[in-house]
Amino acid sequence: MAKRIDAKDLDIYYGKFLAVSEVNVTIEPRSVTAFIGPSGCGKSTVLRTLNRMHEVVAGASVRGEVLLDGEDIYGAGIDPVDVRRTIGMVFQRPNPFPTMSIYDNVVAGLRLQSGRIRRSELDGIVEKSLRGANLWNEVKDRLDKPGAGLSGGQQQRLCIARAIAVQPQVLLMDEPCSALDPISTLAIEDLIQELKTTYTIVIVTHNMQQAARVSDRTAFFNLAGVGKPGQLVEIDETQKIFSNPSQKRTEDYISGRFG
Amino acid sequence: MRDIYHDELDAIGSLVICMAKSVAVAMERATAALLDANLQLAEQVLGGDASVDALRNEIEERCFQIIATQSPVATDLRVVISTIHLAADLERMGDLAHHVAKIARLRFPEHAVPGEVRAVFEQMGEVAHSLITKVIEVVDGRDVELAQAIEVEDDSMDALRRKLFTIVLSDRWAHGTEAAIDVTLLGRYYERYADHAVAVARHTTFIVTGERAA
Repeated sequence: MAKRIDAKDLDIYYGKFLAVSEVNVTIEPRSVTAFIGPSGCGKSTVLRTLNRMHEVVAGASVRGEVLLDGEDIYGAGIDPVDVRRTIGMVFQRPNPFPTMSIYDNVVAGLRLQSGRIRRSELDGIVEKSLRGANLWNEVKDRLDKPGAGLSGGQQQRLCIARAIAVQPQVLLMDEPCSALDPISTLAIEDLIQELKTTYTIVIVTHNMQQAARVSDRTAFFNLAGVGKPGQLVEIDETQKIFSNPSQKRTEDYISGRFG
Repeated sequence: MRDIYHDELDAIGSLVICMAKSVAVAMERATAALLDANLQLAEQVLGGDASVDALRNEIEERCFQIIATQSPVATDLRVVISTIHLAADLERMGDLAHHVAKIARLRFPEHAVPGEVRAVFEQMGEVAHSLITKVIEVVDGRDVELAQAIEVEDDSMDALRRKLFTIVLSDRWAHGTEAAIDVTLLGRYYERYADHAVAVARHTTFIVTGERAA
């Protein structure tokens, strides 16, 4: 299921403004890759180009290639909606549909994409997805209650359940724990470790210790200079990045010697 | 950014230098006490060892606190972990100076070292002094090249120790078993002192390169 991503010579624009330049990165299947870097360096922007969410912003565009198992997701005739189903996304703030029940939240994506599905089949998917998101035992007796009634950490796991219900191959997570308390954060981190056996995961995080804890590889992004575009400074094994990075700029950032 | 954290790392570094300098003085005095049968110098060394031990405890505690509260990474992490190790080596070097001084005091007013091995111990004292002087420079300046020179100099200490063996084991040794044991132990103390200097140099190399010596 999990697929490999190769981004090649990515230049990412907002209108005429070059936000991120020359990103070349390979993301291995069944692994967790963390994107770290200061605010405004373009890490979320790069993440959003990986499932064509970037172009949702008016005037935004991308040059270069993003290959999903060798196939360019920006190629002619590729439907962005298909891309986003294959490459799911979890956002910073848990965003369950507030008026929908827990059950309907999980299957929302499925109903959109597949029309009518038999109830028994849906029940199976809901249970499997909620189990996958480590939420089943907490909500199985109140599936008809609103998703908004759950705690922040539970809501985020509900969003993960919703993302995996459509059986994506890649999961992109944009600071999925930044609005959560430490216990919920650790629950999500444990979940990421379980999910990586099935999916390719890319996570943007401001929390460097989180990157160190959950990821196999870490990519450090930074601005090339004042008023210059963001760039990928270094990507390597997470252990290497946090014990002996190759680039001084990486070292300065993770040791707090920037600025 | 993180000024307090980086100031604390610097402060720990200063403590290490202070500790190394105390060890240098201790071994210098211990050697003089040994060669000149100087009781006063021996007593100074024996009395001063507690302060070296206290420095080691303080360094270890402050490194522990940094790990607990600051999550050091990369070079900072290597500094903290290596500092804990090299402070232990320096403490042991202080202990070895202490042992040398103890033998000097034990034999006072006699000389613990018979005339025919005196020159060898003089040289051992010189090598020891040269080593700790380099260690201070290596630690202070994170000088990897000088760290390599320490390894080479350790070989000359080993050669001096072998020379002692040859003298003590020869048929011409006329000073009896007690003096032979003293000389053998003293040779061992200097040789171990040099080994710990090498260990400190290697920890420093690890701080700089991130690679462990093979």
